[in-house]
Amino acid sequence: MLRYPGLVMTAAGLMAASLAHANQNQLDLQQNPDFWATQLGNYQGNRYSQLDQINRDNVQDLRAQWQFSTGVLRGHEGGPLYVGDGRLYIHTPFPNKVFALDLEDEGRIVWSYEPDQDSRVIPVYCCDTVNRGLAYADGKLFLNQGDNTVIALDAESGELLWEAENGDHTEGETMTMSPLVVHDKVIVGNSGGEFGVRGHLTAYNVETGEMEWRGYSQGSDDEVLLDPETTTMLGEPIGEADLGISTWPEGEWERGGGAPWGWVTYDPELDLIYYGTGNPGTWNPEQRTIDGEPADNKWAITVFARDPNTGETKWVYQKVPFDEWDYDGVNENQLIDVEFEGEQRKGLAIIDRTGFGFLMDRESGELLVAEKFAPETNWADSYDLETGRPNVSEEFSTFRQGVDVNTTNICPTAMGAKNMQPSAYSPETGLLYAGINRICMNYEPFETEYVAGQPYVGATLTMMPAPTQEGDMEGRMGSFIAWDPVAGETVWEIDERFAVWSGALATAGDLAFYGTLEGYMKAVDIESGEELWRFKTPSGIIGNINTFQHEGKQYIGVLSGVGGWAGIGLAAGLEDPEEGLGAVSAFSALKDYTELGGILTVFALPDA
Amino acid sequence: MILTRTPRQLGVDVLGTLGIMFLMATGVTAQAAGNEVEKASSQPVAGPGDYTVINGKVDQGTYDGYIAYTRSCMACHGPDGLGSSFAPSLIQAAERRSFGDFSHTVASGLEIQPGRVMPSFADDEYVLNNIENIYSYMKARGAGDLGRGRPKVIEEEVAANKNNGEQD
Repeated sequence: MLRYPGLVMTAAGLMAASLAHANQNQLDLQQNPDFWATQLGNYQGNRYSQLDQINRDNVQDLRAQWQFSTGVLRGHEGGPLYVGDGRLYIHTPFPNKVFALDLEDEGRIVWSYEPDQDSRVIPVYCCDTVNRGLAYADGKLFLNQGDNTVIALDAESGELLWEAENGDHTEGETMTMSPLVVHDKVIVGNSGGEFGVRGHLTAYNVETGEMEWRGYSQGSDDEVLLDPETTTMLGEPIGEADLGISTWPEGEWERGGGAPWGWVTYDPELDLIYYGTGNPGTWNPEQRTIDGEPADNKWAITVFARDPNTGETKWVYQKVPFDEWDYDGVNENQLIDVEFEGEQRKGLAIIDRTGFGFLMDRESGELLVAEKFAPETNWADSYDLETGRPNVSEEFSTFRQGVDVNTTNICPTAMGAKNMQPSAYSPETGLLYAGINRICMNYEPFETEYVAGQPYVGATLTMMPAPTQEGDMEGRMGSFIAWDPVAGETVWEIDERFAVWSGALATAGDLAFYGTLEGYMKAVDIESGEELWRFKTPSGIIGNINTFQHEGKQYIGVLSGVGGWAGIGLAAGLEDPEEGLGAVSAFSALKDYTELGGILTVFALPDA
Repeated sequence: MILTRTPRQLGVDVLGTLGIMFLMATGVTAQAAGNEVEKASSQPVAGPGDYTVINGKVDQGTYDGYIAYTRSCMACHGPDGLGSSFAPSLIQAAERRSFGDFSHTVASGLEIQPGRVMPSFADDEYVLNNIENIYSYMKARGAGDLGRGRPKVIEEEVAANKNNGEQD
């Protein structure tokens, strides 16, 4: 793109004119199938593309066109954005570099930006120095830096427009999630559930960077931004005031975690944003009891529906009251319209960390379906759809088993049956597509003391591959599944050696894509799951696969670069609980397959 | 409240099976702790890196090293000291570095290059109290004497023997 001053002035004028409806630009971009303007593809979080130039019949011809090294070694989550200006916008883990790459010139760097951050933030990240990507609206890029600075860059020049301080790393706060722009606000959440932070979701003005509202994950109703008379829980008003304080032992809510470090989705018609909160403070459940009995620890592991204009809470649903396993509730809330029991419903589907696939009504917050997508799941037998509570199995209750007791063979592991890797949804098949983890754990809580800026974990855990059933790949630690969110059933499943930690993509070309920790990008038939194509990128994939079309040519872009919790937990392989001490691990070690290094690979058909 | 683990109770040098058998034969119990062991085995006072392994079971200090490692180090250095995509194996670190060097790194932290940082544990009383134990655990892992996962403590066996009336 040319950089005439006149163009810049025109752009500035447009920005001023569109101030009141800044998200209109994002909405318009999303509605153009050529673009990939937000990390999850659209506000609804569907990661679906109507593009079909690359399809079931020709995908075997897909070729890497060019690759680009980011120069950063840590785990690369998120993916490239394309908003129609001939460039790809990508980001890196800490130090959170941003690149504008020329799509027409095989990734020539148009500009780059590198924040100046205090490296003392690095040890405060729980699980690698990841970042889940940029947001875009009205010529601006938004980035959450690890040191809790939210920044806006001019997408044309890479110039810093504003920065806002969202938290304090000396208190254990970091930022890893991708912002979402709704109206004239950029919405961000903090990380730090392993450091006893207090989770919050915050809106900043896209033009000025001024804070517009902040809703905490616990504390008084005023700070959570809810009204017990009008905010509902499973369709009924909450009723009781300040549950964000009273469901905790004295003062524990102040370090009660609930960090919203995952994805935010948005329904433009209902004008509501949806997100989930993380684990409640220490992993030792005993320290979160009241008079020695389990307490709900609200509003950790909770789906929030908020008004993006004010932050006020429309409804809440706590997926796991009194967490005993670190089952952060941050998984993306897929907004899908479904037919349920003969009725059209505005649905909200979650392939959840807990191993359960949920379907809710996103208008009323009612729970419709809760079924296991990972059959090994054993911490709870089922969910009571009336109360919304899990029926917890005493055998796998780390609280009932007790402090300093090693509760064994709990499924899924603390990593969850699915972690941050976002799923895809095809409106054509009505199915969700997701990479999942098939790993179980032993978990031993211990008493821990809160020290600001120090880990506040209070449990040790060891992990092992989930048990297999007949027909499963021996020792597999992951799968890619097609999930029917209404029936609550897996339609097909592909086993993978390692946890599938990449974001999925579904397309109108009858294809689903995902990446593996060894570094393969794979394309499968969306109907059958049959593998049609694969390519080995230089490092394991924990990023998301995005697609876009420029000048009539469809591209697929993916960041590879192994890391994250997957890289930390699986590099050395898992122990076989059946083997004696000292036995050689029967299970694959990730370090035998891949090494570090951030690379963007861009694919297309050679003749397109 | 920070749990400060009891300091090592079985203060023996790397003994190998023969040494262990000698110990067992003289009937030294874990409860008897350092003094008698020292006397019985004529070993110098136990130093960092010492450990005892019998049939996959370890002395209390080495066990505490496993626990401390798993609580405070595993999040970066991976399970069982094996390293991860984020930070190197501490088994190798313990093999290559003297205890002084190892403990200095734990206390001071490291900045290998911009963006590759190990934090200082100087303010973490629990970790500081367990550096020797962690070092012993790593030495046991590095020598191949101890496998993956949570080891059991020899004490339990001694206790069991006690119940059987086998101690003198």
